[in-house]
Formats: sequence, C-alpha cells, structure tokens
Amino acid sequence: MTAAVRLQNIDYHYPDSGGGVADIDLTIAAGEMLVCIGPSGCGKSTLLKLLAGFLRPDQGRIYLGGDDVTARTTRERGCGVVFQSYALFPTMSARDNVAYPLRVRNIALSARRKRAEAMLDLVGLADFADRLPAQLSGGQQQRVALARALVFEPKALLLDEPLSALDAATRLSMREEIRRIQQLRNIATLLITHDQDEALSLGDRVAVMKDGRLQQVATPEQLYDAPVDGFVASFVGRANLLAAVVVEPNAVDTPIGRLIVPAHGRPPGTRLELLIRPERIVIEMAHPSGSPNVFDVQVVRDAFYGATRQVEVAVGAGSLHLETTKRSAIERVRIPPEAVQFLSSPDSRSP
Amino acid sequence: MLPRWITIAYLAFLAAPIVLLVVGSFGGLWLNTLLPTGVTGRWYAEVAADPSFRRAFGSSLIVAATTCLICLLIGLPLAYAIFRARSPRIRAFARVLYQLPVALPALVLAFGFILVFSSDALPWLGSIWLLIAGHVVLCMPYFLHAVVADMHRLNLHTLEEAAESLGSSGTQQFFHVVVPSLRHSMLSGLIVVAALSIGEFQFSNLVAGFLNRTYPIVLLQAFYGATGFACAATVILLLLALTASVAGALAAGGRPGFVVPAR
Repeated sequence: MTAAVRLQNIDYHYPDSGGGVADIDLTIAAGEMLVCIGPSGCGKSTLLKLLAGFLRPDQGRIYLGGDDVTARTTRERGCGVVFQSYALFPTMSARDNVAYPLRVRNIALSARRKRAEAMLDLVGLADFADRLPAQLSGGQQQRVALARALVFEPKALLLDEPLSALDAATRLSMREEIRRIQQLRNIATLLITHDQDEALSLGDRVAVMKDGRLQQVATPEQLYDAPVDGFVASFVGRANLLAAVVVEPNAVDTPIGRLIVPAHGRPPGTRLELLIRPERIVIEMAHPSGSPNVFDVQVVRDAFYGATRQVEVAVGAGSLHLETTKRSAIERVRIPPEAVQFLSSPDSRSP
Repeated sequence: MLPRWITIAYLAFLAAPIVLLVVGSFGGLWLNTLLPTGVTGRWYAEVAADPSFRRAFGSSLIVAATTCLICLLIGLPLAYAIFRARSPRIRAFARVLYQLPVALPALVLAFGFILVFSSDALPWLGSIWLLIAGHVVLCMPYFLHAVVADMHRLNLHTLEEAAESLGSSGTQQFFHVVVPSLRHSMLSGLIVVAALSIGEFQFSNLVAGFLNRTYPIVLLQAFYGATGFACAATVILLLLALTASVAGALAAGGRPGFVVPAR
C-alpha cells in the first residue's frame, strides 16, 4: 500500500490562541477515504489546512505522492479542496468555476470547456453549466465545488465538512455521491466531519481527534468494536460507559450493580471504565434461571424510530441506554459478559 | 390606514420643495404669489451661458471624478488591509475611519486645512488638489464601508484560498476573483462618493480657490439674484446628484453592502 498522503510528526500551534495540533502521524493510501472526526475545536480543520498548505507546520514533514511538500505553497501543492461554504466564485457560471483550475494552467479555452463539462456531467449537473452559483441549490453548489476540486486531477482531495450546510435528505444522497465519485477517480481523500454516521459510513478508515491529537485511527468496524477509550467509544456510535471497580477475579462493581465478567487478571481494586453498546443488551421476558447479570429496570425514556427503539432505563444507582427492535414492555435486561468491554479508566491512566 | 397617511404626508413634505424648485425654474415672474406666472426656459439658458456656472460645473465634475479615482486606488488596498487585519488596533483604526465624517464635521476639517495650508511652508490653499484631498478624506469612509462589508459578506478570504488551491497566483486571484466579486460594491461605493462630492458645500466653500469653486458654492450666490435663475441652477445640481444615486441604486441591485450616506 503506497501512501499518497503522509503527515509525519506534525506540530502546529496558532500564534494568537492556544489551539493547534500535536504529534500527528497519518497516512492516506491511494484511493483511500480517510475521515477525520472530532468535536469542534479539536483541530480537525487545522489538519486539512496544514495539508492544503494554508498553514505551515511548526514541526514535521508533509508528503504528497512521495514528494516532500512541507516547504511548498498551497498553489504548488495542488490539492483539490472542497470548502464548507463551497467557495464558488460568485461571478462565474458553474462551467467557468469548474474550468477555472484549467484556465490558470493555461489550457486552451475549448479544451478546458470540454473537460469542465465532462466533470459537470460526472456530478450530474450537465444541464446546469450556465447557471451562476446563486442560481443553484446547496446540493448542486456542492457538486460544482466537487467537480472543480477534481477537474485538474489533484494528488489528494480534501473535504472540509462538505455536508454540514445541507438539509438532512440532501446530505444522505450527497454522501453517497461523494463516495461514488471518490471511488471512481480513485483519489486519496481526507474528509473532515463532526457527524459520526458520516464517518462510519464513508470512511475506509476513521481518525478520531481530541484536543489536537489523534486518539485512534482505524477502520469503522475496529473503531466501533474496539475503541481505545471512552471518548472514542462515545464519539463513534452510542455507548454506555460505566465506572467500575474490580472486586473479584470475575466480578466488577458498577453503579448499576455487580457484573459477572472475567477481569482478565486485573487485581481487585483496579478502577476501569466499561463499555456496553446499547444493542448488545438483551431484553428478557421471563426470569431466566441461573443466568448472571440480569437486572430489573424502569423505563425512563422511550423513543420510537421505526425500525428500532432507543430506550433509557434506570438500573440500581445508574442508567443504561438500550436499542431494540422489540415493541414489548421492558422490565428486565441481561448483559451478556461478551458484550462488556474494558477500557482503561481515565483517572488511572498516566498523564 | 394611519401609516399610509403618514407616508403620504411625509413624501409630500419631502417632494414639495423639489416640486416648487422645478416649477420656479420654468416660471416667468415670481413675486409675492404662491406660484410664478408664465412659462419660460430662459433661466436654464442663462445658467448655461453664465461663465462662473460653466466653470463651477466643470470644476465639480473634475473634483468628483478625481475623488472617485483616488478613493478607488487608495480605498481598495485600504479596505483589503482592514478586512484582513487580525490586530485589534487596525480594526479600531478602521472604526475611527468609518465614523470620521459623523464625528468630524467638514467645517472642522476645513479649518484644519486652512491652518495648515495657508502657512508659508505649505502654501497650497486654493489649489484644486487640496480641494480633492479634502473630498477624499470626507468620502473615503463610505467607499470603505461598502467594500469591506461586501468582503465579509462574500467570505472573500475563503474565495481566495479556494482560488489559490486551484492553482491561481496572487495577481490572478486579484483580477479573476477579488475584483469581479467586488464590482457591485465598488461601483455603488464610488457612486455614493460621486454624489457626496458633487453636493459637498461646507468644506469646499472654505477651502476652494476662486477659480475652482464647485457648483454648490456658486449656486449659493445665485440666490441673491433672480428666483427663476436660482431655481434652475438648483435643479441642475439636483439632477446631477439624482443621476448619481439612481445609478448607484441600480448598480447595487438591492445588495447589502450599499450604504445610503448618513448626511
């Protein structure tokens, strides 16, 4: 696997505020879509700006297609960037917007019009070539921005929260459209988002960021099934996070009560954090005899989403979130030991 | 119903002097009557033939056009600097610039100019360039306001970043993206500048030399003569200013960024 994009040991701090990124090591393979996700202010957009060349790192190297581009300007790097606000040139038609990168590369008028129109066709806007950006809907503007960022065959495609300005329905179809075109052009792509559904469904790999650092970079499945900590677990999918103390080799105490799970050799007294995904909790109708980890619950909140129900229940001194397809009343739940994952506790981790 | 009547009354109040001026400018004799008697075009012919009015008309156009040109040449880089400024000091300076014409009456500026430029070291009082310089100072804030507001509205910085990422050089960004995107606000800003400069009286009356008096100054003197002549001369000024504002409104096309001057 060749790395089309490589960020090596990058540090950057904004001169006038405390923000920035630190210790960033990241590669994107040719044709791979890497989605970077994190809460606002975590530095994910800074990452994109560093890669595009809008910002220069304080430390570290940036490689594009094997070349060290750390010292190169934005213009010399030639990344295709799609901005959150689309940044279409308001006085140019869709066609002229898409043809612009070719115009500044001195490609003849007829050739660049042809290529721009082919790109517009690819994004499904062949009939809108003469429209000005103000005459296009948000989704259409987004497609023009995508076509413009790809028409000059950039080494990498960078998308900064491309879907956040769209309404929910358009967002879903644009998500699929971005994926389709990205795979068709087979281009290394960095997509910045704060939407976990977007990250899980679009990314070949997902990078979770917090406070300017990468917390975990993994495939969506790995990220969901084996998050490194509670932050990642709660940021990717829904999560029940329980503070726990080991009391016996195969039992831990939690706010919801004692759970029978193997402590994997952790000595009694060890504090840790447990992760239980809502859909792994089993709803029991009868009292199953002899099964461990069965709890009586009281429903606090019950929201119906069609295919599933999201239910919050009170258990002991704590609460759990459940996700179920069952429509029946919920009085009792069972937590299978294999549904419980151990995360290191935030307060036990060395700084 | 009431708001409508208030609007009508206000418009009548606004239009009455203008209507009377127009009537007076075509009227024959106007002495102690509500309306003049007779219809004539001779007042316009007299104004057109008057050498001091002809000279003042020319001076006003030269001053307004040069003021516009200088506002554009200095104002665009200045607006850009204000827009891109991250330092709070520059932003405070920009605020002062915006409020200058309100905080500082033209009269004060004129007194300052007279003090400085009547000295032996800088004996430029009376030159047309000094007059233009004053007009630039008085009009620039309106131009800056229109352009800077448009820069913010367009998110110009992102447009430039986009252009740069697409391979555009600094010069190309300026001519392909910045200037075309700002054309409406620059034009509307300039037309406000032209209208203000044409109508400017306070400052010009004190600073203009006898040979480059602008139209409003000469106009004041007309009111010591025949009423019809004064009316015709005023209507000409009105038409000049009206042309500028209508053109400005059309150029702005109802966009934000066009600011109606505050005086």
